[in-house]
Amino acid sequence: MPTLTIDNRPVTVPDGTKVITAAEQLGIMIPRFCYHPALGSVGACRVCAVGFKEGPIKGVEMSCMVDAQEGMVVATDDPDAVDLRKHVIELLMLHHPHDCPVCDEGGHCLLQDMTISGGHGRRRYAGAKRTHLDQDLGPLVQHEMNRCIQCYRCSRFYQQFCGYRDLGVTGIGTRVYFGRSEPGTLESPFSGNLTDICPTGVYTDKPSRFYGRRWDYERAPSVCIHCSLGCSLTVSARYRKAVRHEARFNAQVNGHFICDRGRYAYAYASQPERPRDALIAGRPATLAQAATQMSERLAAIEKGTGPDGIALMGSARSSLETQALLARLHSEKGWRTPCFSADDAATRVVSSALNTLNATNTIALTEIEGADTVLLVGADPIGEAPMLALALRQAQRDGSRIITVDPRPVTLPCAHDHIAVSGDDLATAVAHLIIGALEPSREIALDADQQDRFKTLKQETRDIPAAAELRAIGHALTTAWRPAFVCGTTVPDPDVPPLMGLLQALVQTSCMWSGLFFPLPGANTFGAHCLGGSDALFEPLLAAVEAGQVKALVVVENDLFSEYPDQQRLAAALESLELLVVMDCVPSAITARADIFLPTQTIYEAGGHYLNNEGRLQVATPVIAGGLSIMDTGGGNHPPREFREDIPGGTPRPAWQYVAGLATGETDPPDVKPLLDEALTAGVADGERVSLPSASREWPSIERIGAGPEGDAGGLTLIESAATFGSEPLAAFSTVLAELTPLFGVTVHSETAQRLGWRAGDRIVIPDSAPALEVVVTLDDRAAPGVLLVPRRIGIDRTALRRYMAHLLAE
Amino acid sequence: MYPQVLFQHRKPDRINTFAEYREQGGYSALSDVIAGADPAAVIATIDDAQLLGRGGAGFPAGRKLMTVAQDAPHPRYLICNADEMEPGTFKDRVLLHADPHLLIEGMAIVAYTVRARHGIIFIRPEYENAARILEREIRLAREAGFLGEKIHDSDFSFEIVVHRSGGRYICGEVTALISALEGCRPNPRKAPPYPTDKGLWQQPTVLNNVETLAYVPLIVRHGAQWFRDLALTESAAGTKLFSISGHVNKPGCYEVPLGVPLSEMIENCCGGMRDGRPFKGCLPGGASTGFLSAEHYHIPMDYESLKAVGNRLGTGAVMVFDDTTCMVAATLNLTNFFARESCGWCTPCREGFPYLKDLLYRLENGMADGDWIGQVETLCGHLYKAYCAFAPGGVAPIESLLANFGEEVQAHIDLGGCPMQRQ
Repeated sequence: MPTLTIDNRPVTVPDGTKVITAAEQLGIMIPRFCYHPALGSVGACRVCAVGFKEGPIKGVEMSCMVDAQEGMVVATDDPDAVDLRKHVIELLMLHHPHDCPVCDEGGHCLLQDMTISGGHGRRRYAGAKRTHLDQDLGPLVQHEMNRCIQCYRCSRFYQQFCGYRDLGVTGIGTRVYFGRSEPGTLESPFSGNLTDICPTGVYTDKPSRFYGRRWDYERAPSVCIHCSLGCSLTVSARYRKAVRHEARFNAQVNGHFICDRGRYAYAYASQPERPRDALIAGRPATLAQAATQMSERLAAIEKGTGPDGIALMGSARSSLETQALLARLHSEKGWRTPCFSADDAATRVVSSALNTLNATNTIALTEIEGADTVLLVGADPIGEAPMLALALRQAQRDGSRIITVDPRPVTLPCAHDHIAVSGDDLATAVAHLIIGALEPSREIALDADQQDRFKTLKQETRDIPAAAELRAIGHALTTAWRPAFVCGTTVPDPDVPPLMGLLQALVQTSCMWSGLFFPLPGANTFGAHCLGGSDALFEPLLAAVEAGQVKALVVVENDLFSEYPDQQRLAAALESLELLVVMDCVPSAITARADIFLPTQTIYEAGGHYLNNEGRLQVATPVIAGGLSIMDTGGGNHPPREFREDIPGGTPRPAWQYVAGLATGETDPPDVKPLLDEALTAGVADGERVSLPSASREWPSIERIGAGPEGDAGGLTLIESAATFGSEPLAAFSTVLAELTPLFGVTVHSETAQRLGWRAGDRIVIPDSAPALEVVVTLDDRAAPGVLLVPRRIGIDRTALRRYMAHLLAE
Repeated sequence: MYPQVLFQHRKPDRINTFAEYREQGGYSALSDVIAGADPAAVIATIDDAQLLGRGGAGFPAGRKLMTVAQDAPHPRYLICNADEMEPGTFKDRVLLHADPHLLIEGMAIVAYTVRARHGIIFIRPEYENAARILEREIRLAREAGFLGEKIHDSDFSFEIVVHRSGGRYICGEVTALISALEGCRPNPRKAPPYPTDKGLWQQPTVLNNVETLAYVPLIVRHGAQWFRDLALTESAAGTKLFSISGHVNKPGCYEVPLGVPLSEMIENCCGGMRDGRPFKGCLPGGASTGFLSAEHYHIPMDYESLKAVGNRLGTGAVMVFDDTTCMVAATLNLTNFFARESCGWCTPCREGFPYLKDLLYRLENGMADGDWIGQVETLCGHLYKAYCAFAPGGVAPIESLLANFGEEVQAHIDLGGCPMQRQ
């Protein structure tokens, strides 16, 4: 822990801290272009020069390249260093175009700031400026190479940090060029971060291009709700329209970056099709009319059937406020327990996964970067939670071994060992890992009861092709120092998470640190679980509707059709209801069927609390008041010439307000905070993890390990799993992301393809599908044989697809 | 005239063959060493001979070998830098075409001293003939048992691979060369760690110039004292290959003892100045050394004497200019080279050289204005804060232009253009 003096102020920093970072701790921001805390020091730009007055180094040196050492005396205002910095900026400006007035970076441009603060004002260089051709990098990122100051941040981020190769550096000298070998859409799902890390305007945000200056925007801290990781965002909005997400630093969750799904998902909030008016039987009504009618009709039904006749349906994308008030509605009125997902299979896995988490085994996303071994079972990070893949990449760069056990051909932007295991065998696979960890090892001591249970486990675990390999990995886990265990919650069956928990608990005794990490299906799945959502399954609810026991259903921010596979059964059941109330901010198959529809606000208007996949409570602040964008209402005029007292399109209210209205019988919003405290988060501070049960060393009771694969006569199984783009219900409305969504396809092992008579590139037309669905066949021998893998895709005819696949399975 | 060591068996039209080399006592040094010499003793001999690196930096070769720790991890690498890109330098090429086995034997001996298993000759792509010669001669040496697995039934194994560079000046820089071999962009890396600690693939790596390695068998065979005695001055040791070009009657590559005066070299080896014109100046060691002026005409050509006048022996590429040369134009030409060859990594070098090139161009063409000299001096000063040694080398001609040919620069400013062109 050396102590050094920077600008006459002492600071003590850990060994290996660079001087530039030590200065930051004193609040001294030494200029920098190439240095970035996540990308490290490379000493390329030379603008962080400072004077070293005393100590082991003397003279002008780069503060990003020198480790802080005991006794150093550093002066950031050393005249020689200031002169060098000033001239470096002059050199960087030799070729930089003076196009700040039309550059989207203007206003938040590091180069602009440095040029002004560095004191370079007058151009002396009389030579010509070098120019480059720009490239079309796809719908997300705008390229303008003439502005480049060669800090190498983009290529370092793209290639080293993210592990993608299609953007990099070519040429030498002043001809250094950052781009692709030829124009084309960037392949990395993290490409949008280029716009954040570029210190000037080479990479700018394409969808929000020319929409506003940084100072024009209403900006507020928010949370990404497009997967369960809950990355921190800063939202920018202007003219009542959210137009940009930027990564907001969060040391526990996302670090400095976010994925492209989270960055470009905001379009749903301002799409022209967004329902903004209340509807009664499909006809526009005022909010008061709709709310009154809703209360009256629900009361009438309750009178007839009792409170059991009314069911509540929430969702994993709603804020905790909404979820908590649904739970409150249930407890106050005695209506049926709210159900938060129509996908019961996932709910069961989520329930068993979250019951496995405890206060000591739960880890945060960035902790995975420090693991030396990461085992992923039934998890496909790039599709389910892209930022997890980036964390794995950092672990692997640091020497970590990454192992994926999955029926899907999991691709990661880093080297990893993949073991293909069919979906039904995942529990057995983990059992083999446990056997491998215990059997040849003397490192883990078991008590007598555990010995017995282990014996049973061994007897019940049947052989699978990858058994030997898995046992070897299990054994290797006992020699790891910092193993992390990641388990998906959509593909594995409910036995897998507790088994992973057991494996982690066993390995924990022989290592320094270890932990569990469960990516969940929705942004607020954890919240739903905490509010009792895991106890209520959808299937019984649907059966009760069909049986006529439930007469009214209140659906809050959930398109049941995208979650429930049997569309026809669902449609028929909804048809039989006396009253279907739907509240949502996006149009969907279910909003069209609502007897009473209430438009809700989005996260940008309502804000809200969310619990991410590890139970961290995070807050989204409202950014805009709501309403149609002036750009849309003004008809080209600014300000719009139509004068009125209300905000056009400003009808929607937060979903929790409607629910609160039902609970208290009032239409005015109640104070939500006491409700929240009562429900769950009492005493938990924003940004902290909710309190979890303390660790138990109980051996979980596993029922199915001994059983063979279920109901797959032909040995074929269909897996629908999340893809990076196209699967998340809100992000799916983004037109720019739609451009990146690949053709709908099925991935199979070549053996399976042969059995089915499929060849790579075949297009299968799904019979009786509406809209017509065509599936492209892709072969991948890293998939488990017998698995038909299709992405979850909003808006496709899943019934027809499943019908066709079932017909294949039957044959 | 002068004792010939590396060029003792140089022939006008072909290489010294493997058979001839063996007859002349070749590979005896390697055989002796492998027979059981203490590696430390061999290194001590090289160190005692005061063999300085001949690639330009002049780092003591023996000391470099000593920095490879006894317990350093394996595999270790030996790289021969044959990426002879310094403008005006062609000694390695001539040497490879004269006596390639000196290099091969030298590499094997050096590899033995540091227990390197793999040798790589990193050769510039324009030297395709030399590369083919090396590949053929390496094969012959291997067939004769001087390379390969368990040489002479000892526990020492050594292989040499010839690797053709992609061809850029910066590839000759040690750390950039290593980056290039690893398949990365040839951007230099910052030491420490030094390559002898963590070099190629983060393994211990010794990197030497062709000429340096070629001296090793001779030093081992004849002893350190013999080598030191070859030089004319007290501080220097050995001979040196000089690539002499420019305004002399017989340009070429000459082996000369260190310490021979520049004037003697030009007059004895090169048959004097072209057309008998007066000597105006020269670059003593390639494009990244400063200009010597007429007052240095009799300077002894060795490391110390040149250091004493603020210059460097560099690669020993002497570019001679007579009084018809515009030194500004010559400097512009050199700066153009550096502007083109900067790897583009750091700002001062990437942007500074084109800036200097522009300023020199303006001076030469009568467009210099304002505080031209001050601007150039400041810029040159800031180039010392570049990432690697490329930029400090590249500004050497410009700084020496101002120091040694200040009047000529002033004449350009005063006359509004090149005085030479006006005559």
